[in-house]
Amino acid sequence: MTSSNGTRPLDGIRVADFSWFGAGPIAGRTLADFGAEVIRIESEARVDGLRLGQPQKPGKSGYNVCAYFNNFNADKRSFLLNMSAEGSRDVALRLIERSDIFLSNLTPRIFERWGLTYEELCEVKPDIIAAYQPMQGLWGPHRDFLGFGAVLTPTTGISHLSGDPERRPVGVGTNYPDYAINPGHTVIAILAALRHRRRTGQGQRIELAQIESVAATMGPALMDYTVNGVNQDRKGNQSSWMSPHGIYRSADDPSGRERWIAIAVRDDAEWESLCAVAEGSSFASHDRFATLLGRRRHEDELNQAISAWTASFDAASLAIHLQSVGVPAALVQDAEDMCEHDDHLAERGFYAYLDHPETGISLYDGPIVKLHGTPGYLASPAPLFGEDTFEVATDVLGYTAEEVAELTASGVLG
Amino acid sequence: MAPGALDGVLILDLTSEMGWYCGKLLADLGADVIKVEPVGGDPSRGRAPYWNGTPGRETSLRFWYFNANKRSVTADLGQYDGRWLFGELVKTADIVVESWTAAERAELAEHGVDPEAYMDAQPALVWVSITGFGLDGPRAGWQVTDLIAQAASGIATLAGYPDGSPMRIAGNQAYIVGGISAAQGALLALLQAETTGEGQRVETSMQEALSICQETAHLQWDFQHTSRERMGEQHRMPGIGTYQTQDGYIYSAVGIPGFGAPWSELIRWMDDEGRAEELTEPEYAETFASFNMRDLALGSTLDDLGPVMSRAQEVLTAFYASKASLEVYEQGQARRLLIGMVASPADIGDDEHLNTREWWLEFDQPTRLGSDDAQVRMPGPPYRLSDTPTSIRRPAPQIGEHNQEVWVDEVGIPAEDLIAFAGEGAI
Repeated sequence: MTSSNGTRPLDGIRVADFSWFGAGPIAGRTLADFGAEVIRIESEARVDGLRLGQPQKPGKSGYNVCAYFNNFNADKRSFLLNMSAEGSRDVALRLIERSDIFLSNLTPRIFERWGLTYEELCEVKPDIIAAYQPMQGLWGPHRDFLGFGAVLTPTTGISHLSGDPERRPVGVGTNYPDYAINPGHTVIAILAALRHRRRTGQGQRIELAQIESVAATMGPALMDYTVNGVNQDRKGNQSSWMSPHGIYRSADDPSGRERWIAIAVRDDAEWESLCAVAEGSSFASHDRFATLLGRRRHEDELNQAISAWTASFDAASLAIHLQSVGVPAALVQDAEDMCEHDDHLAERGFYAYLDHPETGISLYDGPIVKLHGTPGYLASPAPLFGEDTFEVATDVLGYTAEEVAELTASGVLG
Repeated sequence: MAPGALDGVLILDLTSEMGWYCGKLLADLGADVIKVEPVGGDPSRGRAPYWNGTPGRETSLRFWYFNANKRSVTADLGQYDGRWLFGELVKTADIVVESWTAAERAELAEHGVDPEAYMDAQPALVWVSITGFGLDGPRAGWQVTDLIAQAASGIATLAGYPDGSPMRIAGNQAYIVGGISAAQGALLALLQAETTGEGQRVETSMQEALSICQETAHLQWDFQHTSRERMGEQHRMPGIGTYQTQDGYIYSAVGIPGFGAPWSELIRWMDDEGRAEELTEPEYAETFASFNMRDLALGSTLDDLGPVMSRAQEVLTAFYASKASLEVYEQGQARRLLIGMVASPADIGDDEHLNTREWWLEFDQPTRLGSDDAQVRMPGPPYRLSDTPTSIRRPAPQIGEHNQEVWVDEVGIPAEDLIAFAGEGAI
């Protein structure tokens, strides 16, 4: 990670980040990576669940040692504001008045109760860009439905369409939509709204209904139904036009860890290249596999033959060999591979290692896109819980030290 | 018509299937996105699924979805005249997006189609490269497909069944997430260029963009030097996991502290319908009240929790199995229980909520098959902007549909020259 202190596209932009967990904070994190000052609103009365989650730094405890939280909140300021306390709304509005962007993934019921609807924000900051990420939108029969990534995966068709057709749909092992799709779409909308504001002086409201944002990524399968009436089912790792196309067991590593290789053959030329590497295998000289049609027709047999062949190879070396002759292939990497053995990621400096006061040197995801002229970077690790409350209250909000003491005593700042 | 947020932005989209989503997102926000296709058309035009199941380059629903709102011109970048025409078009552009392989990139650069050269001549130009592994590093030259990027990013190993192979997430998610990353980069660079007059190169690596979706796996490795494994549908506590219903499956996430109503509400629901069995006895309430899922040992299973929890799981499993998926979903959510339906495309297409919100977009798509246009109903946008709404302005273009309009009317190529270019196959 090449740290830098150059100019960034969002220098001078302030974000009032009222979001928590994944989809909101990650959007804020991207804005921060590219220069925005992001103020995360937190409270002892409503601690972000990720601060209490896993993994925590071994031997440590408290609010500041969970990497799940820290990774999504690097480069932000933590400001404690208890929205249930009397007088808190004035402080919130004072912050919003001094911000360019408002960000929230709370349910509509909550921010309505807090008095932070778009119309209310406009009263203090008419050109605010207010991004809301309600699960199912700000209106509609399912408006108040609850959810998070692991619930969105089933409700948007990803679970139904992923996995083995012979087995139950089990999701994808993570809260997948929370990490790239929903925060990424939110940032795109915010950046577009920023451009509109620069040209016209007008802010606006962004409504990202998370269910719509995720379902929008499943366009072709959904259209097969809405246009053709065809209700697709899951197809495992199979492709509609590539064969072989799958993930095959290769030799275990010396410690007994399962290793797998992904292979995707797009045309007959790549098939011939694969066969040249696999000379002597049971499939390499078989005429029935010579054409895509033949390979598709005998796919189960083909996959078994390929598995039998890959079983004796080291997956990483085989992937390199196949790629050297132009066949798409890759080791199925796990976290150890990503963090320790991936020379490519390491040379590109994707992961950032930042020194955090309680967790020490810790791994953070790098910026999700690389800008060559004004690159994003992580200027600081995640803030400690409430670390910046006093500075934000005085420097940004303009309260005197006495006023801060009063607001703290009355439970507003806490 | 309301203004678009990206009105006045001209984008040249040279991507294949793996880069389509970036241009779609920007076109839907109002940018003028012109696909620059090879003379025979974008090679990924013919991808399934197809309108009425009829395979072809003008019947791909996939192509329509990702290319509506774009225009199309052709230019053969392998020919001098094609490159010259492209160069004229680049002069009018704010952003160029491509998804070339390293080999294609090198070959084009040899022929003068070199991003750096265009950017030298046009300092405000933003040039976006969507790649599998990035523009540099030992694997920059690697071939990539969706499956390959998912494998290399650390997410495939987490998906699937513990006793089976790692699994690809449906929907070409590497192309989707790569497109989302690239669109963010394009807009960041555009904001910078419009402020300072300085454009730049933007680079997406699908491997990196997807790797964020490892969730905590890489963080756990960093802190504990242990690897997270595929969980599949393993039930670690009752109430959390995939359950069968009368007509399908639901995903239930009841019992996570701070997320929706607790187990007691689940018992109340079963009791209201006369199906709680002995779960109303105090023993069960006490067990759930004193249980904290954060205390679950890593890798523990339901069996480790004892007979009370096992019985609760049995009763709950039978309860869910007695109802239809949609009932479980809507009735459970009405009680603020965190339950999602495992929805098929048909369930989503017929979803009352999305229909009420008028999310779907409807338009007529020409097919070149006879005179009838296809009646298309397509997913709407991922977000709604109050003052600059996204809109569907035109169906997906046919190959070179806008050659005359763009080359002659907008770039200013004399009409007779265009005929000559067409004659030699440059367009």
